Amino acid sequence: MYGIAAITAKNGWAMALAGSLIVMAGLTVLALVISQLKKLAEFIENRGKNPSLPDTPPPADKKTPTFDFDEVKVRYQLMAQQLGESFELSRLYQLANESGFPHVHLSIRSLRQAGILVPVAAGMFSWQQQD
Amino acid sequence: MELLLQFLSNTGYYLVDYRNLIMICVGCVFVYLAIAKQYEPLLLLPIGFGVLVGNIPFFKGFGIGIYETNSVLHYLYFGVTSGVYPSIVFLGLGAMTDFSSLLAMPRLMLLGAAAQMGIYTTLLSALALGFTSPEASSIAIIGGADGPTSIFLTAKLAPHLIGPIAIAAYSYMALIPLIQPPIMRLLTTEQERRIHMPEIRQVSRIERLLFPVAGLILCCFLASASIPLLGPFFFGNLLKESGVVDRLANTARTAIIDTATIFLGFTVGASTQADVFLTSKSIGIFFLGAVAFGIATASGVLFAKIMNLFMKQKINPLLGAAGVSAVPGSAREVHLVGLKSDPSNYLLMHAMACNSSGVIGSAVCAGILWSFNVV
Repeated sequence: MYGIAAITAKNGWAMALAGSLIVMAGLTVLALVISQLKKLAEFIENRGKNPSLPDTPPPADKKTPTFDFDEVKVRYQLMAQQLGESFELSRLYQLANESGFPHVHLSIRSLRQAGILVPVAAGMFSWQQQD
Repeated sequence: MELLLQFLSNTGYYLVDYRNLIMICVGCVFVYLAIAKQYEPLLLLPIGFGVLVGNIPFFKGFGIGIYETNSVLHYLYFGVTSGVYPSIVFLGLGAMTDFSSLLAMPRLMLLGAAAQMGIYTTLLSALALGFTSPEASSIAIIGGADGPTSIFLTAKLAPHLIGPIAIAAYSYMALIPLIQPPIMRLLTTEQERRIHMPEIRQVSRIERLLFPVAGLILCCFLASASIPLLGPFFFGNLLKESGVVDRLANTARTAIIDTATIFLGFTVGASTQADVFLTSKSIGIFFLGAVAFGIATASGVLFAKIMNLFMKQKINPLLGAAGVSAVPGSAREVHLVGLKSDPSNYLLMHAMACNSSGVIGSAVCAGILWSFNVV
């Protein structure tokens, strides 16, 4: 048996429709749940704190970067040297991840914004010495 | 003299069949593509060499071939037919995957779900071409672009098709740079390809710790047949994110996954014995695999465009193509196609979010299809 008749006989329409609806619904629920994880994480983090203390951090902290940019520059320059004259950012990202560096995406973005990581060709970047 | 003649009649030179020679050529092409072109070398090299090993003609009855009980290859192949290797590969994948970008932008998960539509469209096509329901389900899962998942489901539903389905799945994964970009360009405008995605926020450690637990519970409660894949996957991820078992996480993402990949690729390659592999069904499987892959890519891209109709903050529709679970190949292609339109458009991290969602999506689909065929 072939064609539409075969699909109908083997319950294909129901399998395809139910299957696609289930996976779509399942991943939508998962997306909704993980969109709330941030709130749950904040709740867990704040649980031990004294409620009488103000929630907002001191103003000086607001502008304090979460990492030392000079240190980031030194670390990433070493890795860039390993990758050669020009390289893909994905390789740099992978290497940084493997080395266990924190905030890899943020660091690479900062290096790009600072003009240190510069695009040289389609998908390739090079390290521009600033000193 | 008689002994010599008997020996000669047992050699490969005497027993060789033209179909063995065809498969040996295929194996050589795979090895060439892996080494010279570096197309998915981690997969194509073991598979290609396995094809060579599996197609050396031999005297049947000696316990040599992969389909002969008590042969060494048969014992190694048990990891494929039982679904052990795919589960181990998923453990390593989990220990490698960083879900931060997905946690930062959960709506990208929908693109991973949309790309699974290729699976169900192919299911209908395979049924229409006369395949049985278990066979059609196994062929359809190629659309998930996930080799281990394809092998796992096929081992459970249609073990006689493992060879062609695994080869088709891995071949198309290796051919991502040729298959996906034309579809992406065809379905998007230059302006759409230039859409910049917002910066990904930093994700706290607690969020990353909660995700594998929440993901496991939600996905496996829905499709419990995906436990053998998603269980190790989320466990591997928890090993990574916990930060207290670095040794285990490191072993899972290096030695364990590498060992499983070697044996998986090699034995799947060796399972393509010409008399089992070169059939009309295999041709149908390769054709349907290409259809599945193309539709999966197109579904993701089109779904992103549909989402843009309702959302204030537009999504770059190229990201939809990364909804298939070929990690990280399809994310890389999305990134490169985006860069060609705008060299300052950095899509890799967002594409990886869709990719990881695709891995979860295809494993859930495998569980669903398995359940449908057992009921």
